[in-house]
Amino acid sequence: MTLNEKIYKWFDERFKLSELLPPIVKHPAPDNVISNPLYCLGGTAFLCFLILVITGIFLAMYYKPTPLEAYNSVEHIMTVVPMGSLVRSVHHWAANAMIAAVMLHMMRIYFMGAYKKPRELNWVVGVSLLLITTTFGFSGYLLPWDQLSFWATKIGTGIAGSIPIIGGYISLILVGGNDIGAETITRFFTIHVMILPITIAVFLILHFAMVRIQGISGRL
Amino acid sequence: MSLIEIEKKEVPEKPVEPLRVRGIPFFPHFLLREVVVMCLIAGSLIMLASIYPAPLLKPADPFDTPTPIYPEWYFLYVFGFLKFWTWDIGPIPAKIIGVSLPMVLWYGLLFLVPFIDRNPSSEFKKRKIAVALGVIALAGILYFTYFSIVHH
Ligand code: HEM
Repeated sequence: MTLNEKIYKWFDERFKLSELLPPIVKHPAPDNVISNPLYCLGGTAFLCFLILVITGIFLAMYYKPTPLEAYNSVEHIMTVVPMGSLVRSVHHWAANAMIAAVMLHMMRIYFMGAYKKPRELNWVVGVSLLLITTTFGFSGYLLPWDQLSFWATKIGTGIAGSIPIIGGYISLILVGGNDIGAETITRFFTIHVMILPITIAVFLILHFAMVRIQGISGRL
Repeated sequence: MSLIEIEKKEVPEKPVEPLRVRGIPFFPHFLLREVVVMCLIAGSLIMLASIYPAPLLKPADPFDTPTPIYPEWYFLYVFGFLKFWTWDIGPIPAKIIGVSLPMVLWYGLLFLVPFIDRNPSSEFKKRKIAVALGVIALAGILYFTYFSIVHH
């Protein structure tokens, strides 16, 4: 018995691998999915998300969410921390790529009519994912606390604030006061690294569970 | 990457005879291809990141408004529409419309798509209206994005 077989047997005795694996491993990937790269877009978005989680964790080790330190801590990441510039830049590009992939994914679903019965609710979960993803981008944009992020957030929260009825509450919750300041940056940081990751995890689980239960629509 | 999409293509209730699906087996061929694609995407991101590092401008200064101020590219269309729409409707000021249409109404419509479009067919030719509306919406978003860049 080779070492591989021994390891396999050890796990097999405990977890019944030989029953669990074949349905996954032997299952043929359907032709229409393989031959059409448009089906990659959802997975691409997910891969970007995983990259964002990993690079984001490293950024959070050095980032300081206060008006006085935020900018300097980002500059420190860019100039002093080993590989810091690369990690932040990959985070930046993966974020943009994820949004683009999500939008293109949504367009594929729309134009292929993949949202129709029985997949209506998965479309609704999908639109929520789009909202969450863009909110990720919006909240992350402020964090470097440079001129552009500060003023773009000022205008952005202003626009959100002028939505009828709910706008006032949205901007109060986001800004945490009358003006963008210390309250805002800690809020945006919490939203960006705590609230949204947990929320997106829940919606991703729902999304993937539904894809798994309902299968990929294979009409085209 | 599309790990999820593989699982459930068909699960025959009773495996009468193994359904022949044209395709490549998940393991190892499909997985190998997935890994290669993932490496390509990760590689491109690393390359982009090294050639164009993430920008960092001057520190924020609440007393010095810079020009131009750009939001993230995926919010540009909201800015563009706000600039574009200058007409009050009755008692509703233009600004309220300019904000509500591209955010509240647009996302509201998006959420409702499967419930508005009751046409069961997913063939391109049998859903001309849905496809036309999709193209119009897309063109609109692109146009307002362009508008926000030009009219700065
Ligand atoms: C974080 C964002 C998202 C991720 C990671 C994601 C991931 C995925 C994946 C991996 C699939 C399998 C098929 C494929 O890749 O094309 C899928 C299917 C699907 N997605 Fe998404 N998705 C996201 C956002 C969205 C959005 C914004 C919508 C629409 C508004 C959407 C609607 C759907 C629907 C309806 C399906 C089933 C398609 C079918 O059966 O053909 N998803 N998603």
